[in-house]
Amino acid sequence: MITNNQSLSKSALALTTAIVVLTGCASGTSQSGASQAEPEDSTKGGDLTYALASIPANLDPARSGWAVESRVYKQIFEGLVTKLPDNTIVPELATDWEISDDGKTYTFHLREDVTFHDGTPLNAEAVQYSFDRILDPETQAGNAFSRLQPYESSEIIDDYTIELHLSTPSVPFLDNLTQANLSIVSPTAAEEYDDQFGQNPVGTGPFEFVSLQENSNIKLKRYEDYDWGSDKYKNKGPAYLDTLTFNIITEESTRIGSLQSSQVLAAEAIPPQNIEAFENDDSLELLSQNIEGLPYTLFINPDHEPWGELEARQALQYGIDIDHIVETLYFGTYDRAWSAITPGLLGYDESLEDAIETDVEKAKELLEDIGWEEGNDGIRTRDGERLTLQYVDITPNREKRNDIAVMIQQQLKEIGIEVDIELTKDVATTINTNGDYDLYGNSQVNGDPNALIQFYHSPAEGARDTLSKVNDPEIDQWLQDAVTEQDEDKRAELYKNVQQFIHNEAIILPIYVPNYTVGTQKSVHDITFDYLGYPQFNDAYVQP
Amino acid sequence: MARSIIERILTALLVVFGSTFLVFTILYVLPGDPVDTILDPSVATPEMIEKLRHELGVDQPFHIQLFQYFSDLFQGNFGHSLVNSTPVLPQILDQFPKTLALTLASASISIVLGLTLGVLSAIHRNKAIDILARIIGLFGISMPTFWTGILLILIFSVHLGWFPSLGSDGWQTLILPAFTLGVIGAGSIIRMVRNSMLEVISENFITTLRSKGLSERVIMYRHALRNALIPALTMMGMIIGDMLAGTVIIETVFSRQGIGRLIADAIMASDLPVVQGVIFFTAILYITINLIVDISYTIIDPRVRRSI
Repeated sequence: MITNNQSLSKSALALTTAIVVLTGCASGTSQSGASQAEPEDSTKGGDLTYALASIPANLDPARSGWAVESRVYKQIFEGLVTKLPDNTIVPELATDWEISDDGKTYTFHLREDVTFHDGTPLNAEAVQYSFDRILDPETQAGNAFSRLQPYESSEIIDDYTIELHLSTPSVPFLDNLTQANLSIVSPTAAEEYDDQFGQNPVGTGPFEFVSLQENSNIKLKRYEDYDWGSDKYKNKGPAYLDTLTFNIITEESTRIGSLQSSQVLAAEAIPPQNIEAFENDDSLELLSQNIEGLPYTLFINPDHEPWGELEARQALQYGIDIDHIVETLYFGTYDRAWSAITPGLLGYDESLEDAIETDVEKAKELLEDIGWEEGNDGIRTRDGERLTLQYVDITPNREKRNDIAVMIQQQLKEIGIEVDIELTKDVATTINTNGDYDLYGNSQVNGDPNALIQFYHSPAEGARDTLSKVNDPEIDQWLQDAVTEQDEDKRAELYKNVQQFIHNEAIILPIYVPNYTVGTQKSVHDITFDYLGYPQFNDAYVQP
Repeated sequence: MARSIIERILTALLVVFGSTFLVFTILYVLPGDPVDTILDPSVATPEMIEKLRHELGVDQPFHIQLFQYFSDLFQGNFGHSLVNSTPVLPQILDQFPKTLALTLASASISIVLGLTLGVLSAIHRNKAIDILARIIGLFGISMPTFWTGILLILIFSVHLGWFPSLGSDGWQTLILPAFTLGVIGAGSIIRMVRNSMLEVISENFITTLRSKGLSERVIMYRHALRNALIPALTMMGMIIGDMLAGTVIIETVFSRQGIGRLIADAIMASDLPVVQGVIFFTAILYITINLIVDISYTIIDPRVRRSI
């Protein structure tokens, strides 16, 4: 019961005011923590908070399949070898290596001064353990399993020498060893944590794991004993940063807002529409790096009528204004792709650039030539059948890929093709199992053009179709030869042949070269990128 | 009365069972194989896939899987996440307190703001405070949660720098998300309280009270408000339910931990055991809240007791 009538109206107001005042008080505490860092002396150091756009769930290199996960665990783990931006492969945990004449035995000599974060020494046994663990079906290794092929077994020669035996010769094998999936893990920790190793990773990298708060953040700290930095880094000793915290901020505007208000000092995946604002903001800096591998590519399904016909596929090549799409959606932050591989890879064929110019009239002619006549509603028909194209894409709208679909839908209407867009989460069923599509896009991060084999080589007996559905002995031969070709120029030549073939047969529509953008506060210095476009923090420090 | 309470509890159990069965069936019927979530389909060998399917039990017929699922649940085993292999129940229990804190903070803001403004706006009808309250009410009801959230981040976090926009550590991180959700709840309460106050004011007994010479203040607060509060109280129960649902969006926008975010991420990653676990957990929670409300009605209000 209300006993003091007079006070209610007042207390109501007072409550409202109290909330405002209370919340106002919070301002002091929240801001000072993040943005007003203490002025420091000349020693490099600091705590870097880095906002990730998606969720790294598993930090076990063998079991992880996502790029976002490797951005984190690359700081914790190292491999036998690594790669510089100019594509040369240099030692990391190995000091040097020999490849047998038959190309089937790789002998690695290991550094003798390396210990894992848990004190376990790095030796031949740890290397053997790491690779055999990937082969073990119990580990449920995905990408790592495929990258380790054709590794069969290994032999420990002495504590710091190990021979890796392959079932068939493979030149790309060494390159694959530079990838984070094939990092060397601490056998002690992997045994101890078993299937929870992904939540308790232990490696030899410049940062050691501290904690993982699900959906929130991952904390790493400098590994004090680290003293074996590869040629990737200027700083070969312990990292400068005291701590490195990855915050997971999936919502785009929150991520950008947190960076602008200094709640985090760096944030990945800056959307193209924000880039101009970044350039005009004195307190912020924008870093960006192309991601090498296979560009974002639309694969045409030749099993569906009429896309088995070259003219029909060429009509798509001429009818779609890719320049316009890339320019409109990405404001010049992404490069247009021209070939089946990105420009940074060995053997990239520059002659394909500008090889096709958009030509709507020509596209229409090509369709007329094979009997597709324009109907009353502008959509073409042949023998009473309408020319429709089933465009399948993944939700959510990663890198505006759904918008590409919509723009292509509009453009193809011009030449008389009706486009049905199907957005789905379950691509595995629609694409791989049912093959129920005409156009579907995909990209892959990779450091070697051998990545082409997974997409353009005829599938093995009984295996599932590739995305391109190419089944051609000539292209198979080039791809196989390139796996064993030791001469780099000849190897590059073989991959050029493959790219030319794909282009001439209009098998795909390359759209854009993915790009990794990182916004940072000006106080953050020297975040570098590796050859795949992954960030590295060994040289990084925070100093106002 | 004991009998009616037992009946209510039995019904509640039936609802828990029904909703779990429904969710299990829907997820079973939907296309997609949990094995694809764990193994990269482009590299896994058929043997690896078969072995894993057997381990997970997804090669069993529907009724066996369903029975297994319920018997596991009965033993408190919610299964393991397909993404990071950690057990589901500890994950939920770890995240739940954060969602609970957010819900309670939002509900408090809704109630305080809603009651205050609702009462003031009815008493000062057509005055400035009434117009302001109505605007806030309309805003709360009409704005999508994520939009309000982003707007608050832009103003109070990016431009003014008053509050953090992300994280779930410390009470400061609670303010913006709790306000976002709170304003939405407040919108409904303002309108409800204002309308029922105005309705009560126009009733005969108020006129009677006036003619007896009671002061306007006593009439408003002692008589009108008490009568107007009953429908508003009912509504608050519903609002708390809505808020639990609203946390899915809020926790994502503000990068907070909590079961809303847990289920949103699990859905994105096709992590079925986590999805099922969170739904089962929230179903129990909803039903328990409803049960408590129902039972307390029977205790408070004799008319409800008779009709049960």
